[in-house]
Amino acid sequence: MNVAARMRTNPAFRFVDQYKKLFIAFLLIIFLFLLGEVTVSNFLSFAQLLLTVKLASFIALFGLCQMIVMAGGGGGLDMSVGYTATMTAVLTASMMDGRNENLWIAMLVALVIGLAVGVANGLLTAYVKLPPLVVTMSMSLILQGGINVYTAGANITGKPSPILQIMAAKSIGIFPNILFILLILTPVVMILLYRTKWGLALFGTGTNETAAYLSGVNVKRVRCISFVISGILSSFIGLLLIGNMGIAFKDMGSNYVMPSIAAVVVGGVSMNGGDGNYIGVILGAIFLQTLTNLLVAMGWGDAGKWLGFGIVLFILLIVYVNDIRSR
Amino acid sequence: MKVLEATGIKKCFGGVVALSDGNFSCQEGRITGLLGANGSGKSTISKIIAGVYSADAGEIRYKDRLVRYRNPNEARKDGIAMVYQNLSLVPDLTVWQNIVLGAEEKKRLFLDNKAAKNLSKEIIDQLLPGLDIGKMVYELNPGEMQIVEIAKAISAEPKLLILDEPTSALEKAQVKSLFRFVRSLAERGVAINFTSHRLWEVMEICDDIIIFRNGENVGSLDFERDGRDPERIVSYITGDVQKVKVSRERRKNGGKSVLEVKGLNYGKFLRDVSLDLKKGEILGIGGLAGQGQHELLLALAGNYPSVDCVATIDGEKVRLNRPANSIRHSVLLVPGDRELEGLFLKQSVYTNVIFPKLGLKHQPLFTPRAKYRKECERAVDVLSIKTSSLDMPVRTLSGGNQQKVVVGKWFSFSTNVLLLADPAKGVDIGAKRDLYGYIVNQVREKGISVILYASDTEELAEYCDRVLIMYEGQIVASLEGDDINEDTIIATSMRVR
Amino acid sequence: MNKARTASGSSTLRKLISKPEFSILLILVVMFTITAVLQANFFEKRSIVRNINAFAPLILLTMGQAVVIIAGGLDLSAGSALSLVVCVLTFVMRKASPETGAWAILAALVVAVLIGVINGIGIGYLRIPPVIITFATSYMWLGAALFLRPTPGGESVDWFKAFYDFSALPGASDSLKAFGSWMPPALILLLLGCLMWFVMKRTRMGRYIYAVGSNGNSAYESGINTAKIQMQACVINSLFIFLAALFFVGQTMSGDARMGDPLTLKAIAAAVVGGIALTGGRGSVYFAIVGALIMSFVNKIIFFANIPYAYQTLVSGVIIIVAIAGSQTYTLYRRRAMARESTLA
Repeated sequence: MNVAARMRTNPAFRFVDQYKKLFIAFLLIIFLFLLGEVTVSNFLSFAQLLLTVKLASFIALFGLCQMIVMAGGGGGLDMSVGYTATMTAVLTASMMDGRNENLWIAMLVALVIGLAVGVANGLLTAYVKLPPLVVTMSMSLILQGGINVYTAGANITGKPSPILQIMAAKSIGIFPNILFILLILTPVVMILLYRTKWGLALFGTGTNETAAYLSGVNVKRVRCISFVISGILSSFIGLLLIGNMGIAFKDMGSNYVMPSIAAVVVGGVSMNGGDGNYIGVILGAIFLQTLTNLLVAMGWGDAGKWLGFGIVLFILLIVYVNDIRSR
Repeated sequence: MKVLEATGIKKCFGGVVALSDGNFSCQEGRITGLLGANGSGKSTISKIIAGVYSADAGEIRYKDRLVRYRNPNEARKDGIAMVYQNLSLVPDLTVWQNIVLGAEEKKRLFLDNKAAKNLSKEIIDQLLPGLDIGKMVYELNPGEMQIVEIAKAISAEPKLLILDEPTSALEKAQVKSLFRFVRSLAERGVAINFTSHRLWEVMEICDDIIIFRNGENVGSLDFERDGRDPERIVSYITGDVQKVKVSRERRKNGGKSVLEVKGLNYGKFLRDVSLDLKKGEILGIGGLAGQGQHELLLALAGNYPSVDCVATIDGEKVRLNRPANSIRHSVLLVPGDRELEGLFLKQSVYTNVIFPKLGLKHQPLFTPRAKYRKECERAVDVLSIKTSSLDMPVRTLSGGNQQKVVVGKWFSFSTNVLLLADPAKGVDIGAKRDLYGYIVNQVREKGISVILYASDTEELAEYCDRVLIMYEGQIVASLEGDDINEDTIIATSMRVR
Repeated sequence: MNKARTASGSSTLRKLISKPEFSILLILVVMFTITAVLQANFFEKRSIVRNINAFAPLILLTMGQAVVIIAGGLDLSAGSALSLVVCVLTFVMRKASPETGAWAILAALVVAVLIGVINGIGIGYLRIPPVIITFATSYMWLGAALFLRPTPGGESVDWFKAFYDFSALPGASDSLKAFGSWMPPALILLLLGCLMWFVMKRTRMGRYIYAVGSNGNSAYESGINTAKIQMQACVINSLFIFLAALFFVGQTMSGDARMGDPLTLKAIAAAVVGGIALTGGRGSVYFAIVGALIMSFVNKIIFFANIPYAYQTLVSGVIIIVAIAGSQTYTLYRRRAMARESTLA
């Protein structure tokens, strides 16, 4: 057995190898905090970290949707997540009207919206074989159009139910509640992906579509379901989003789309599909939020944020190029 | 005059020796044939000469100087052109655009289309009169595409032309006109290297031939001097194979029929294939490489949605258009290309082994992990897969163990028919023995039936009860009893007997 | 496309009708007719010029997008690249000093080529899936544009109006105004774009763009530098974007970092409607113009259908998805039919 082969079977080496992208993401975050501490004072503190995590939580939540569709391979991406969330938030705001007893109706509406968007995306990508990015971008346009129609003339009224506000905006002590949602969600996602029939089939499909098909798995359906789940999830994230902000407005979700994709790439999820470690996505989200904080502190604002995100994504795509080469 | 001489060429692919001592020479104005069984190294040496591969050792002299090409383009610029089996044509350009592709002439700023069309027309008129050079290549039939491919190679006016299986897609008339043209090229002083699995064609067109076996050349014949004797050629190809007495008694044909297929068609790959597999039988599929054996197994596994064929499995009618259908009736495929068709390299041994269960109906939503792991452990144990844990990614395993994982995927399924596509390819001897031992054991104890395609004739001769020979998508012969030996299988594959 | 065929008359006609180009042209004629009926003064010179002005940017972007798609790529950054070029133009220009216009054009051209080169490196040399890499770069362009122009605005030299309307040009002679009334600058830019492609198509690069998109491996085996060709396709796209930016600044005399965003998808959809296969290698850049015209006429028809403004995004989203899905289904259907035919033969 040669050295390389022995290295590969060494458990410690394998651990590092398997999670090397997580380490990279982690190191990047530390680097940013140190950079912030040097260039802007009072950047590195526990309170600042908690605040960053709180702000990053929605990127991480939308990142979950991206991770799931990406795991199925075939260039899976969902650009419509932010718009689905906005649609749900805008529609349910007046229904909830700040009362808890109306929450269940809002949840029903969220389910219907998410299901409709997800099924449409899934059918068009998996069965009609259109590029997911183009389909979901068009879907975003349709949703944004729908929101425009709904909000035209009339102002959006209504407030989220208090339960949602407690979940998404309040804190227990210094710990924001949304952090607990992420903490609960992480194992749930891991079980969904690693312990269910569908999750394993999704990873297999993403890794090797032909082999999955020859093993008798209905790859089209598996991929379609990933989009449906993404749709439903993003719709429910919309409820949390209105809980967080207290009101609904026209483009409350759309600004999360790009960061959610970037977070997944930073978190080391292969764009080719076949894997997905949600902890990585959360780290990616924290990294992007820290980057935003830093750029804002430096006074670079919106422009710096988008430019920074674009460059980070571009560089990481080049770094991970061996994982994503198309041919 | 010798145009090219290659001596002592050696080439390995990841530890497997494809060519151990290849020697080859060709002369101006002569057509030299290359012959040999599957994996004898004949196409490896052509590709080394054309610059597709680079040799590990040995030297090539071309026009009396030492050459070493890094890519086909360098060779082509030097006057060595190769016609590939897998076509190098661009479907969305016209015939004439393809012929001059990569070597377009310019007239001032623009491309000189007129000259290109004239050149193409001139060549096509000799090869296949009547073909419209303005047609898109995707509109052509396979034979016409092959002709265009040849025209493309010729348009560069090579000194040495390498034709690798140029006739496999052609019809009789097309072959005739191709041969006339090749002969006229030779008369103009071009050296030609011709490879074909149709022995009769080689004997008709070639001036001399070189025969390869196990990575070295074992003989050459000058037809003028030595005469054209097919039996002698075959004896060179097979070598002194001892007609091994197989210890195992071959089953007589006559059990209950398990899988019956009539008139299976798939594009140009499978034409009217019928077969009848008996219970407890190991049915071999033989023939030269690429005659539709892989496609047959894939079709039986339900891989092609467009295949419109109803098979009878255990007396039940089953449509072969979805893998799930075949799997439900326990017809299970071990595909030939394990990296592309069989394995999830990134995933663990565990995921790979249990994966087919995920496609079954009525499975619990949450995978019963404890149960699955136990089954997986048993599969690893019985197949003696060497891995440090079930969670190792399959990518880290050796080729032989990977192949065992592919077989292990069906371990916990009740098997009726096992379709094996070249299971021992790129697998070391120990793993090969393990694999076949396991399969023979399954046949003997569980009474499963097997359809086995193996590119190595030895495996067919050793394990099969009956061997069907495929040729250009059809089953052309069925060998039984004492006819199942390497010599007969190869001779039948080459259609000598 | 129109090669002389030796078939008899009726089968030639049938072949012509079965061609996808025929159905695209038919759709165009139908859309054209509907618009002509709805718009009362459709054939008047003024409304023709107005329509050309309204259609030109989309047509230019669609042509550029078509070149990239034919070469086997896809450019999701086209819209934000347009915004960036527009912002560069208005950033450099000062209303008071006319010579800044020339500097602005030079700077914008450099930026446009750079955009193409960066996209081309990602698609061609690094072989990152085009959709993903241009998605990333689109945010780089957006960020850069926001840097130059955080809020819509900016200024422009007066003579830039020449890219929109000659008669708005201060001190324009009567003959130039007369020329402009039947030859608006938008049409000149379009013709310039067509001429550009007309020349390029006849060079090796033009031929190779098709070869690379149709079958990259075969093209590579034939000695073509596929990465370089894909990069060149991206640069050509940038040039079309540059032309569109000139027109926009001429029209609005200002810049907006988000003005190009909605055009990306419209251009992709228009290219697909014009018969450009998303798989690459197939389609004609001139037919992409037809696709862009169809999409523009559809927009026009919606406008006349008295749909409230709020519905416009919704409707155009639906149209884009229907157009792309329809074209794709049609292509899949045709391919399957062809496969069936070849199996029978």
